[in-house]
Amino acid sequence: MSLAIPVLLAAKAACEPVRMTDWHNLLGVIWDFLSLSLFSLGGGNTLLAEYHSIAVHKYCWITSDQFADIYAFAEAAPGPSSMIVGLLGMGAAWREGPLWALLSGIAAETAILLPSTLVMVVASLSWSRFKDSPWRMAFERGMGPITLGILFAVGLKILQTADHTPLAYGVSVLVCFLMLRTKISPLWFMGVAGVLGGLGWISRY
Amino acid sequence: MSGQNTSEQPLAPAPSLRELFFGMLQVAISSFGGGLSAWSERIVVEQRRWMSDEEFLTGLTVARLFPGPNQINMAVYIGASFRGLAGALVALAGILLVPFSFLMLLGLAYFYLHEVESVGAVLSGVVAAAAGMALSMGFKIAGQYVRDPVAVVFAAAVFLALNNFHQRLIPVILVSGPLAMAWYWPRRGKRELQP
Repeated sequence: MSLAIPVLLAAKAACEPVRMTDWHNLLGVIWDFLSLSLFSLGGGNTLLAEYHSIAVHKYCWITSDQFADIYAFAEAAPGPSSMIVGLLGMGAAWREGPLWALLSGIAAETAILLPSTLVMVVASLSWSRFKDSPWRMAFERGMGPITLGILFAVGLKILQTADHTPLAYGVSVLVCFLMLRTKISPLWFMGVAGVLGGLGWISRY
Repeated sequence: MSGQNTSEQPLAPAPSLRELFFGMLQVAISSFGGGLSAWSERIVVEQRRWMSDEEFLTGLTVARLFPGPNQINMAVYIGASFRGLAGALVALAGILLVPFSFLMLLGLAYFYLHEVESVGAVLSGVVAAAAGMALSMGFKIAGQYVRDPVAVVFAAAVFLALNNFHQRLIPVILVSGPLAMAWYWPRRGKRELQP
């Protein structure tokens, strides 16, 4: 029951989306996520710009606007926001119907989690040996500044992906400020901004 | 953090696979309004007494240090400490089942409905707010590095490589990572400025 969504990617005609029913493509995609898994420093959000480049530019699964939407869902929904990979996998196979989309979402999420989980299992079981090793201290201190640089680059990338008007930039900067200065749940910010958007006060373009 | 009173009572026996699954499921469901980390501590340490506060904090340290989402890594740590690989996978399934199913439903609804104009209008506001959250991530951890000029240089170099020179993430980490580790390699007497 493939419900045809007519113009899913009308705007990006130049970039041909790959078909996920071709196992060759599927394996390529799984490999992309598997190989990124161990580079997710600082809790996973450091990979967002990479996800954007894979999903929007490399494979053309979704548009940049859709990426912004999906990122918002992953942030708003309960659970870790790195589950965005499941939504990307879903977008990748949406053309082949919802069942494929679901399978592809699960496959993508499994691929991104598997390597880091296996490393984490080994780390948990041998932590007492790592604890005071100079490697651990160098890694912990060295990766901090790198994570910082990546997070700023990722924040800017998401900002440019989501915002196209001065008003939208203003909303983002305000939310950023409130996130840093208050303990208000971000769900409120998204809720209020959603209402303003629904009323037509914030528009995408 | 609130060590004293919890550590006096004895710990429960090591949880079975089944208990691990349902414990993590409970953590995931309890945290639907947010605060996954706090719920995880409340349930694992205070209610079920699987771990002492100290063991839990060690787990958080390991979870933050290694690649992967922190909360998922924490579940893996809890599972692995009690039941090895099987425990880790069961804990992972427990913590992910409900939130991931929820997100997949949301995704299905989105891909069916995103062409609808009113949905698009609401989302145009939501994404602006979400982008603000993304922007805040760097600022949130920046405070601990500003007094270390070398850290600032590393961060700036990584930022420029990604943002201005459009390098890919993996090569950037593979180059900057070893350099930073060499610089911060623990040496006796020299530069012991623990943040």
